[in-house]
Amino acid sequence: MSSKVQLKTISVNGFLHGVMRHRWAWLVIAVGLMAAMPSFVGMSWVSILCEILILTVAASALNLIIGYTGMISFGPAGLYAVGAYTTALLIVKAGAPFGLAMIAGPVAAIVVSLVMGWFCVRRTAVYFALLTLAFSQLIHIIIFKWYGFTGGDDGIVEIPVPGFLFSIESYYYFALACTVVCLLAMWVIVNSAFGKALQVIRENPGRAEFIGINVRRYQLMAFVIQGFFLGVAGSLLCGFNHNVFPPIADWTESIHMIIACLLGGMFHFFGPFVGSAVYILLDRVVTSFTEYSFLVLGIVIVLLVLFFKGGIAGFVSERLSAGRPKGN
Amino acid sequence: MSRKGCRLEGLREIDMLDTQRLIKKFGGLIAINNVSFEIEKGELSSIIGPNGAGKTTLFNLLTGHLHPDSGRVIFSGKDITGLPPHEICRLGIGRSFQRINIFPRLGVFDNVQAAVLAGQGKCINIFSPSKNIAREETIQVLETVELDDKRGLPAGLLSHGDQKRLEIGIALALRPSLLLLDEPTAGMSPEETAGISALIERVVQHQGLTAVFVEHDMSVVFGISHKIRVMHLGKIIATGTPEEIRANAQVQQIYLSGE
Repeated sequence: MSSKVQLKTISVNGFLHGVMRHRWAWLVIAVGLMAAMPSFVGMSWVSILCEILILTVAASALNLIIGYTGMISFGPAGLYAVGAYTTALLIVKAGAPFGLAMIAGPVAAIVVSLVMGWFCVRRTAVYFALLTLAFSQLIHIIIFKWYGFTGGDDGIVEIPVPGFLFSIESYYYFALACTVVCLLAMWVIVNSAFGKALQVIRENPGRAEFIGINVRRYQLMAFVIQGFFLGVAGSLLCGFNHNVFPPIADWTESIHMIIACLLGGMFHFFGPFVGSAVYILLDRVVTSFTEYSFLVLGIVIVLLVLFFKGGIAGFVSERLSAGRPKGN
Repeated sequence: MSRKGCRLEGLREIDMLDTQRLIKKFGGLIAINNVSFEIEKGELSSIIGPNGAGKTTLFNLLTGHLHPDSGRVIFSGKDITGLPPHEICRLGIGRSFQRINIFPRLGVFDNVQAAVLAGQGKCINIFSPSKNIAREETIQVLETVELDDKRGLPAGLLSHGDQKRLEIGIALALRPSLLLLDEPTAGMSPEETAGISALIERVVQHQGLTAVFVEHDMSVVFGISHKIRVMHLGKIIATGTPEEIRANAQVQQIYLSGE
């Protein structure tokens, strides 16, 4: 009986080894599968997949500072909303072309994250987290109260989107392309010398100073980079929904992103992707069964945090290294 | 008015480091009390003294971790008083710590490579993959501290002795001109201690380094130091060759009554 169980474990591990060995091939297959999805599933599922992609970009951006630099931020939603509202306002108020507005969103998020980050990196740990939350809520309140400009809680609706992106399916392909490009860019960043400096700061900021790293400056750069990608996610959301509302700047939105990071595993590049997928699928499946969806979701998260140390991706890779022959 | 970073006149050319009347107080405690000394280029010297004498505080003042209440630190002719640690580090002062202070979840190779990259100012490079940069320099350092066979292990899993070696490796990776080692052999077995002692002597000889170490192990101190400084209650009370320090009555007095 036990040997049978063991055999099964080994074959699972063997499979996962294969995945690790041919990482790039599998990635191409994964992207190919994602691209093929709309031919197999209905429109409501394509819409869910699109939400997963957008959350993946946002959570991966957040993970640049949480997982890679060791700065726990409670305020990603603020920057996300800056991206979304910039795109929306430029299209609706200034009549800007869609492409320009999509680029302006992340650029505005860079500017805002530069200001926000300049203050936030002056504090560490929980004080940093609270400052990010405060700034994010400030952005929320500005959006919420400034009726004349942002429409307050009426939001901005009926944002025109170019015809070729109007259907959910075509927008899904657009979001998929943007997500792949963003993830590739983030992959390059975390594997660069700069990315190494960020990890060094995460591991031991005190010592990082003594190898000649200007810790605050690097933290600020990381903060601005995450701001850019959060802006991309926000702009993508705006184009997807054709409307924007203040709750996307609220702290609950930040919590979604943090949960996606933690659930998937913040020490793994694809952790936020796994987390986003699991979180959104759980949310949809659970809400279709019961009205107490938050209760079920809460319990699932507690269990995952308790028993999947390091998130789902962390758990899988730990199993991997446990099954790996020694001396490798 | 700011003279920081500028070359100062009237200093001895042979001095690598020159501290002038350093004072550091913590509340009512005077941790460093009017300390002035010079370290010559190429010198391998040590600082000894009972616990609480101010040795680590002195290192903290030299590396910018703490700022002195008064006095100046001149390094290679430049006033570095009050500069932040990362700038002092980039000017060429490398430091290892008494308590192990590494990057535990990163690999041994990554620990040293990060320091090499930072020392060369390449950390700003956001696009080229780090695995292709500074490989040879990193491996050289790993060979120097005899950790090249463990380069793939997470640093946090190394034995205490190896972590202390890595600690020194990280400091060496910066290619410093002045190396400050805070108790490099603390907690080591006699064999490991002998190894570290030989390692320090070797790098000072071969790499033209100037090194200062704080140490409690007297076999290391008297074995490899060219010069020994004795600290007691925030002051340097004696400076001399190992023979002179051994014969110094005041030093004997402190060590007999203090320990």
